[in-house]
Order: sequence, then structure tokens, then C-alpha cells
Amino acid sequence: MKKRNVLIFGLLLLILAVGAIFAQVTRPEDLKFPPLQFEPPQPAQYRLVMSNGLRGYIQEDRALPIVNLTAIIHTGRLYVPKEKAGLDSMLSECLIKGGTKTRTGSAIEERLDFLGGAISFSVGERTSTLTMSILSKDLDEGLDIFFDLLMNPEFREDSLTLARGKIIEQMRGINDNPSLVLNREFEKILYGDCPLTYQETKATVESITQADLKAFHKKYFFPKNIILAGAGDFNRNQLKNKINKYASRWANQSLAFPEISKKFPEPEPGIYFIQKKINQGYINIGHLGLEDTNPDYFAVQVMNFILGGGSFTSRITSKVRSDEGLAYNCGSRFNFRWGFPGTFAGYVQTKSSTVGYAISLILKEFERIRQEPVSDEEMETAKNYYLESFTDFFQSPIRTMINFATLELQGKPMNYYSTYRDKIKAVTKDKVMEVARKYIHPEKMVTVIVGDFEPCNQGSEKFPGPLDKLGKIHRVKLLDPLTGQLVE
Amino acid sequence: MNFKKLATFFLTAFFLLALVGQGQTQVKLDVKEHVLSNGMKILMIPKPGVPRVVCHIYYKVGSINEGPGTTGSAHIHEHLMFKGTKIMGVTDFEADDAINRQIDELMHKIYREKYWKKDGDQAKIAEWQKQVDELIQAEKKYIIKDHLWETYMKNGGTGLNASTSSEVTGYYVTLPSNKVELQMFLEADRMMNAYFREFYSEKDVIMEERRLSENRPGFYFSEQVNAAFYAASPYHWEVIGWMDDLKKVTKEDLIEFHNKYYVPNNAVAIYVGDIKPEAIIAMAEKYFGAIPKAPDIEPIRTGEPPQYSEKRMYGQGPGLPSFQLWFHIPPDGDPDVPALNILASILSGETGRLTKSLVKEKDLAIRAMAMSRPQWYAGAFTFNIVPKLQAAAKPEEVEKAVWEEISKIKKDGVTPEELQKAKNKTEATFIRSLESPMFLAMRVGRAELNRGWRSLLTDLEDMKKVTSEDIKRVAAKYFVKDNSLVAIYSRGQAR
Repeated sequence: MKKRNVLIFGLLLLILAVGAIFAQVTRPEDLKFPPLQFEPPQPAQYRLVMSNGLRGYIQEDRALPIVNLTAIIHTGRLYVPKEKAGLDSMLSECLIKGGTKTRTGSAIEERLDFLGGAISFSVGERTSTLTMSILSKDLDEGLDIFFDLLMNPEFREDSLTLARGKIIEQMRGINDNPSLVLNREFEKILYGDCPLTYQETKATVESITQADLKAFHKKYFFPKNIILAGAGDFNRNQLKNKINKYASRWANQSLAFPEISKKFPEPEPGIYFIQKKINQGYINIGHLGLEDTNPDYFAVQVMNFILGGGSFTSRITSKVRSDEGLAYNCGSRFNFRWGFPGTFAGYVQTKSSTVGYAISLILKEFERIRQEPVSDEEMETAKNYYLESFTDFFQSPIRTMINFATLELQGKPMNYYSTYRDKIKAVTKDKVMEVARKYIHPEKMVTVIVGDFEPCNQGSEKFPGPLDKLGKIHRVKLLDPLTGQLVE
Repeated sequence: MNFKKLATFFLTAFFLLALVGQGQTQVKLDVKEHVLSNGMKILMIPKPGVPRVVCHIYYKVGSINEGPGTTGSAHIHEHLMFKGTKIMGVTDFEADDAINRQIDELMHKIYREKYWKKDGDQAKIAEWQKQVDELIQAEKKYIIKDHLWETYMKNGGTGLNASTSSEVTGYYVTLPSNKVELQMFLEADRMMNAYFREFYSEKDVIMEERRLSENRPGFYFSEQVNAAFYAASPYHWEVIGWMDDLKKVTKEDLIEFHNKYYVPNNAVAIYVGDIKPEAIIAMAEKYFGAIPKAPDIEPIRTGEPPQYSEKRMYGQGPGLPSFQLWFHIPPDGDPDVPALNILASILSGETGRLTKSLVKEKDLAIRAMAMSRPQWYAGAFTFNIVPKLQAAAKPEEVEKAVWEEISKIKKDGVTPEELQKAKNKTEATFIRSLESPMFLAMRVGRAELNRGWRSLLTDLEDMKKVTSEDIKRVAAKYFVKDNSLVAIYSRGQAR
């Protein structure tokens, strides 16, 4: 009976749909779409403050029998002193494997594996995250392990030995991958020798002890320095009470974060060439960028979408890849980092003989966006992309909660998402040119190339060498990854 | 509109739900399906939440459908699908087409001169190339660059991409829920009316893509290992194809490829997100339903014959060293596969047997895992170890340690705890895979093209039934030297 009702209902809907929606169109531009309203979720709705000031963004989501929980801790690589470089990697490896006061690392991993749970910890530049996904039937046991790891890690010696071995082994290969080498050396040139670019060596990693890890943990892991993000199959109030059991026994610390200078060197413009016998040149062209709290942030996003950030719809990709077939991967990007200016770079990887030509094409696009207004169509595509894909920020409840928690942890305005679309809409063609001129400076750029010098320098018909036509050539030598010393 | 077909759809949907309800599993996967009269499948998974819909279309074609001389075609073709149709990417189709025909004629002459002869006439080639370059310039005024991509982007398309594997090629976009029709319009159009503009520069792009792979430490060796392992079956070559074939493959080859494989009876479209199935079906009938059915496609002919001998390979180059041990196993759907999959889970991971033994106890390696990859036609079970150079671990010692683990399995099987852990992990991983609409679309869409999407559920049930005896049996059957390939890679100067 029920089945039949639904069947008839379905048929009715279908008849309506066929009549109402479709008229024959021959171009996609002529398609008419029904209106779509979307209001972003409000952070305040999900915010909780628990015992000892532990904050959380928590959303019930009963669709599947799973709970996702993430703790975002304000600490990271940037707070590691130079002589202990690699402490962040050791912390990443050992927080779980090193166990807690009452559990060994193996016991924790065994148990979570048996429950089909997943847990991972990673240390970033200034934020670190402990992430767990567990079936909701195992939530209590999962929470017990999760908070034990956050509060009482023991960093047992066997985990340190394993981690050192692994990190040093991986160190051997870090000069082998051209794109890793490129990005690392690009940042070293732009930021100089500072906490953003410290490189671990065998000696620094071997010097890191259990006491170092415990001290680092004690300094940064306390309720007021952490925000939780959680979503899944639980009752929100019950979860709050469960978390309070742990938070109430967790003392806060007083913490002054190390001061880090924002003064960076001004590298001499020109080509920085790193020799590697491969059949392509891997290239970054750029300089320091801006912080994402800059009021020009949205205009810069729109500008860069048009220049080289909007994949195939952007100018660099269209010219370098699609017109000329010079590269699979090319474009421009502004990287952002919390509290520091990020980097701006045009990038391309192309066969050795077309390295010079590809660079010249990217430089032309830098000039063009500074000198000529962008077209109305380009503006429309860029702005519509951001406006129409806005809902993607809220793809999943846990993603949304992590987004909110990150905003608060980094002290950014909590109305970031609710004002996002208006800020994109407000960007004008004039503003795009203004920010292009303000944040792209071809005369100050460094061009870093990883490749085989001779064929790159020789060039090809459309751009015969030598490369010094593009600027003074500096040959950069790589350091031995294990010792941090020059090879030879 | 065919009402009878619609009725079948609703009945099918309910029948399925009932089936899942009566089954033993707590895992629910509610896929609604609809088959168009041309054989194309439409799958739908409503997932209320944000107003977005993952829209994917999968074709049952990949690098295993290629042959010597045309390796890399499935992937080249995937790129060409972004190069326009009779209505997309062009302002004046007739004028553009006329220029393209001239370009193709000249390029045909160039290819013959360059690739058919040992000492082609360079002067002629240069002259023809000059004419081609002029024609390409003349064509520019008719081309709307990356029209399809831009149309998706300005309508809020994200996750915009395509991918080619050995078996399947997929085209992806996630759109606001009011714009699913756009995807149907564009995908139906390029299935029917694809027109490969800028063919020759796109081949250059793909050669750059291959070079990127070549510059990845270890690529050359792994390409050779794979080729040595699959002697006969078309898994022999990588999806990217051999460089010679990328250079020499012609537009005619690709058009033939398109006409054979890009047909509705070889495709499945899947929609996951904030959808109303009845509206999706109506749109699919309109756009995809209008495409004529094509001849059925013959499955792959060449399986992998038994080796009857051990294979060994040694290589040197940049990157981390590795020890690999490969065994041939049967494809997906074979009754031995569930036990092999469970065994791989027991061997792998941080608490797996290989890490415990080779990394923690013997200090021979920094990573140790096993993978079971049955694939559609011919499978591989692989042990992958990264030896620890500081411990001066010799590949032979690693090899010995791996065989010791294999012997233990053959002799004693696995413990009840290990078995239960592997089953719990498998099930939880499955439930977790239902969280992400994009991942869900990928799994369900691909599974549909091989053994039907329900195989995801029946495979899960089959894995739960695996016993220690099953594992002992499959280990004894497949983990033998005459069925193996050993590949040892060490750090060194050579590629």
C-alpha cells in the first residue's frame, strides 16, 4: 500500500518536473537554474566552553555511527629552537607511539586498530592537530585514549629510537625530489635563516631527548591553548559532560610565545640555479606575499584567480599550457601563513629547452595584469567561482567545526564566513589592478630553477639562451641533508 | 517519457532497501538506480546537508583497453575531452573544422616523414610545420579557450577534474544542487559530440606530464618492475604510456577510441548529495537518454599466464631504497580474494605483523607493508619494504625476514584476535568511506562498472567469513617462488 502511494507521488513529481524545467537549449549559457538560498552556519551556535577554559565547536550529526574529534593546539615547528630542529617531526612521530603514563604506544595502537578507529597526530607550522575517528559505540573508550594522549604523553624511549631512525632515513632522500628541493630553497632565499626555514640534521635529531619532548609538551598542551572540533553521532550535552571529566583535571599553564622577527632579507633579484640532472626545469618566480588578515586579501584572491590561480580559466595556464603545450602544471599562487607574510610565486615545470621561454611568458603575464585592466568576463568568472562554490566550506560537519575552531585559535574575525560573499562581491576591476601593482613586483623577483644547467641555458628557437638574459645567475649548492654542510 | 521504466525504478529502490534491512550487516548503502534504454546506468545517493551535489561520470575504459603503439591513449583521450565539442569551445564550427582538417592533413605528412622513415626530409618537415603553425594562429579566433572548464568554474564547480586508471576513466565536478542539469548538458554533449581541438599541443602537455613522473625518484624502476611482472596482460604498461607512443599516436587513433568506448552502454553517471532522484532521472532521460546505444564491448582478452619461474630485478637511482616481493593473484570476485585482502590487512599498518617484525624487532626497515590488489583481470599481492640503511640492512636479510613471515602464515595461519581486528578495521573503514560524498561516488561508480555496486556489500560480507584456514590455504597457493618477482632498488647515481 505504502509502496503504491510513493509510486504515484513519484510519477506526479516527474510529470511536473518534465513540464516545468526543460525547454530545449543548445548552449550551456542558456540554461536556467532555479534559485538557491544558502545561509552559512553561525559559529556561536556550535561554540562551547568547558572546564578550565577548554573551548570547542561541536555539532551533532547522526547520519552515520561515527564520531570525529580533532584537537587543534597552538604550537608547531616555529617554536622549536634551531639547535633542536626536527623536534616537531619527533613530536609528530612519538606523541601516540610513545604512549602515556598508563598505556604503552603499542597498546593504544592495538586497541584503536581493533576497534576500527583511526587516530593521528601532526605538527604544523604554528598549529598541531590530534585527530580521531571512532565508531560511536566506542566513544567513551576513544575519549579516554584521546585525552590521555593530550594530557599525559610519556614519549617512551623505544618510540624515540624508532622515530630517529625513520626521520634520518627519510632525510637521505630529501634532495632527490625536484619539487621539494625547489620549494624549500625558494623559501630559504626569501625568508633567510629563521624559524620558518630551519632544517633538521642528523645531529639535531639525535640530540632530541625524552625530556625535550616532555618539556615542549608541558609548555604548550593545556586547555586554554587548545580548541576542539567535533562532529558525529553523539548527544552534544552528554559529550560536553564527558569532556569536562578530563578538562576539569587538566591544569592551565602561563605561556609567553617566543618572539619571532618579521624582518626578512631582501634577496638580490635574478636567477638562482640548482643543478640536477633531470629532463625538466622546475621553476618558481616570486617574492614574499602578504598576510591573510590584510584587508586586500579578497581582492588578491580574485586577481590571482585571473592571473594563474584559477587553473584552466587563468591566464598563465591558458598561455603556457593550453596554447604552447609547455607544461602540465603551471600557474601562480599566494601562499598564506598565520602571522607572517606568505609567498607569491609563478610556477611551471617544463622540458629543459623551454625553461627560458616559459619564464618569459609568465613574466609577461605579471606585467600585463599590472598594466591592463582585466576584462568583465574574467571578473565575472572569478567572482562567480568564489560565490557559487562558497558552500564547499561547509561540506561536512567536522570540516565546518574545524574551520570555526581554526578562526578562533588564530584570532581571526568570527564573521569571516558570514561576510565572505559580500567581500568578494565588493572587488572591482580597479581594485584588481591596484592589488596587482601593490603585491606583484617583477623587478624584485627571484627565479629559482632546479634543473640541468646546460640544456636549460641553451634554450630553444622561441627563446634561445643564455639564461642570464633573464637576470644575474646565482648557482646555489645544496647542503648535505644529514650534516647540513656543503657537499664536496 | 517511459512510465513503465519509472515504475520499475521505484520498485527496485524499495526492493534493495528491504534486502539490506534483512541482511546481517549493519552497514547501509542506499543507492537508487535507473537504467536508460540505451543501457546507461544512473546511480543516486541522496545525502541531505549542504546544497551541493557530487556529479561523476565513469566510463569502463582505461589503459588496459590499449595495445602496443597506442599506450597512453585512454589518458590522452581524457585530456582531449576538455578540448571542446561541436558547440563548446568554438565560435564558428564550420570554419574551425575546415582549418583543423588542413592541420591534420599536414600533421599526417609530418608524422609519416618523421616516424615512418629512418632519414625523413627535415626541410619538408620544417616547411609543413611552418604551415601548421600559421594554421594554428588562424584557428585561434574561432577557439573559446577551455570553455567547458570555465563554464563549470563560474557556476561554482569544485572538485573539477578527471582521472584515468588501468580500468576506468572518470570525469568529476561538484555543483550547487540547483545546477546538476549543467553537468548533464555538458557531459552528454562531450560523449556525443567531442571534437579534439589543439590535439598536438595537448600531446606536448602530456609528454611534460610523463617527464614529471620520470623525475619522481624511483619512477623508472617501478615502471620496469610493473612491466616485468605483467608479461602478457595489458597491465604491463603504465597509464601514462610509453614516450614513443605518446609521440606517434594520431588523432585518428583517438577518434576511433572515442567512438568505441565513449558510448552510453559503457558509462555510469552517479549523483551524491542534496538531490531528488525523480528530478535526476527526468534530466538524465532528456540528456543522456537521447544518445544512441552502441555495439557491446568485448572484455579484455589477454590474461596473465603462469610464470613457472622466479623473476628478479635490481635497480639503482635517487630516492629511498626498497625491497619488493610480488605475487600473482586472481582478480576481484574470485573466492580467494577475501582471504588475501584480510591477510594484507593483518600484515600491514602500525600494528601489523610486518612492522612488528621488520621495523620494531629486527630493526631492518623503516616501513613495511603488504598490499592486495586483485584488479579486474589480473591481480598482484605485494610486499613493500623500505630497508634501513643506518642499520646496514642488506636486501637479502630483508628478503629472508619477509619469507619467514610468509612461512609462519603458511604453517600457523593467524590468531583469532588478528582476524577479528582485520574484520573490524575493514568494516569501520567501509562505514567511514560513506562519509565523504566524493569518495562514495568514486567507490560506487567504479564498482558498478565491474561487478555492480552491490559487490561492495557482498565483498564486505565475504571478508567477514574468512577463517585462519582460508588464509593458510591462499598463502600456500600463491606465495611460491615460481609465482614471484623480487625487485631490489638501492640509492645510487644511475636512474
